[in-house]
Amino acid sequence: MTELSVARPPSALKQRLAALARRPQRSLALPACGIAIGLAVACFGLFRPASRPGTVVPPGYVALVNQKGVLMSDLISQTESETGAEFSDASPAERSRVLREMINEELLVQRGLALDLPETTTEVRDTMAAAVNAQVVAPLLAIAPSDAQLHAFYDTHRAKYTTGGTMTVHDLVLHVGGYQNADQSVAQAEEDAVEAVYQLRSGASIDYVMEHFGFVDSGRVDNTEELDFAAKIHLGAKLYQVAETLGDGEVSDPIVDTDGVHVLVMDQRELPSVADFSVARAQVYSDYRQAELQRATQENLAVLRSEAQILLAPGETE
Amino acid sequence: MLAAAAIALAGAAIAAADLRAHRERIEYRLLAVLPNEAAADPALVRFAVAQARPLFEQYCAACHGADMRGNTALGAPNLTDQVWLYGSGSVYDIERTVLYGIRSGQSKARNVTDMPAFGLRGVLTDAEIRDVVQYLLKLNRRPYDAEAAEEGHTLYYSTKGDCGDCHAGDARGDSDYGAPDLTVNVWDSGGDAQSLYDSIYFGRHRIMPAWLGTLSLEQIRALAVYIHTVSHPTATAAPAAGREG
Repeated sequence: MTELSVARPPSALKQRLAALARRPQRSLALPACGIAIGLAVACFGLFRPASRPGTVVPPGYVALVNQKGVLMSDLISQTESETGAEFSDASPAERSRVLREMINEELLVQRGLALDLPETTTEVRDTMAAAVNAQVVAPLLAIAPSDAQLHAFYDTHRAKYTTGGTMTVHDLVLHVGGYQNADQSVAQAEEDAVEAVYQLRSGASIDYVMEHFGFVDSGRVDNTEELDFAAKIHLGAKLYQVAETLGDGEVSDPIVDTDGVHVLVMDQRELPSVADFSVARAQVYSDYRQAELQRATQENLAVLRSEAQILLAPGETE
Repeated sequence: MLAAAAIALAGAAIAAADLRAHRERIEYRLLAVLPNEAAADPALVRFAVAQARPLFEQYCAACHGADMRGNTALGAPNLTDQVWLYGSGSVYDIERTVLYGIRSGQSKARNVTDMPAFGLRGVLTDAEIRDVVQYLLKLNRRPYDAEAAEEGHTLYYSTKGDCGDCHAGDARGDSDYGAPDLTVNVWDSGGDAQSLYDSIYFGRHRIMPAWLGTLSLEQIRALAVYIHTVSHPTATAAPAAGREG
């Protein structure tokens, strides 16, 4: 019985148990291969020679200056600009020279930042402020104004387009109170001046009045045509205020000033006038653009201010 | 089963590593070569085109159109023709424009000059501008009024119009200034008579943003190669579909 039972083929259950018992030994070999390959790949990825950051110039750059890149595109542009030839035609020496210049510039800029030049140097601050404004207004410049916008701007800023008036005026004076040895009083001079004005308005000549009443030319104006602003400087504010109201051939009332009593005789007067839109057009266009740019920079400042923390010392205002 | 899975994983890891290495190599090469050399390398062109298409859609199509044919309302040029405002349309020229923009407010931007507003500023009258328009139509072999075109021709060369100062004596433009060629009938802001009138009357001061800082150098190079490829279909390897990178 025993022999017979030994020779009997194993039952299905036994076969499966035997297979399970053998299986771990075979399956360990294959996964081991897979793991080994995987580890090899991982090791290659982990331990392959890798450049340390900052020691290799990345593609697209021609140099690293303290980790700051100098663009190849900028080298091409700079070289072509300096040599006036295609980059490919530039000699190695020319390329090297331009690159050296660019590296030098980068070094100086970096040094400038290290020295905090924006904090200490007016020119750097001005340039930075201007560069920011340039970026702010750049999109605005792309929008052309319409005729209606220019007209509206002209209408609201007419005073800007006023042409300067001119005058040719005589300034006669009766000196008083010892001024240039004149010993008469102001009252006497005023009395004579009133009479002189009457004579002048009646048609008497300037020469006659000067000789008869003792007037002299004040010397403040040279009796030729002057722009209003120049006449104002020469006559002084007090006399100019009267002169600007006189028309052609008109004579002023006597005016008492520090040196005596004056009488103004207006030969010719051209009143200031507002230039017609068609005449002022170019200036209106320019002023409009300027005003728009100004508005944009102000709006940008308003945004910056709204986002900034600005503390003022006690008692300070801005 | 486990063994097969492990081998498959290892194989996939190897393949991924290889793909990544290949991609890194081609990315490196795209920037390492001189800009114009990239257009001559089919593998680089394929890679750049694949990279640039979604970028163009995201950053450029709003102005230049998804079909790259521009937008006259915005003055955005057609990028599929071979007419270029700045430079000759080389990869380098295109890349330069993408890097720093046009009148973007950056000092490296293309910004030598712009089209003055001859009408708004009162330099030319309405009638004079219409005469110049007729001359432009004549230059482009389009129907024109002969008498007006003759007047326009005179104005073009007069000190009043002085158009040749930027557009050159032969009206073929100057790509250093971004002054367009007036003889090829390509008009960024529209070529009908009214659009030409408006360009002269109101002037043109179109801008393009600088993309350096927003896009990486590699992305900008890819865009430049892509645009160059589209506008020079015979000069470079076609942007055919295939393995990307």
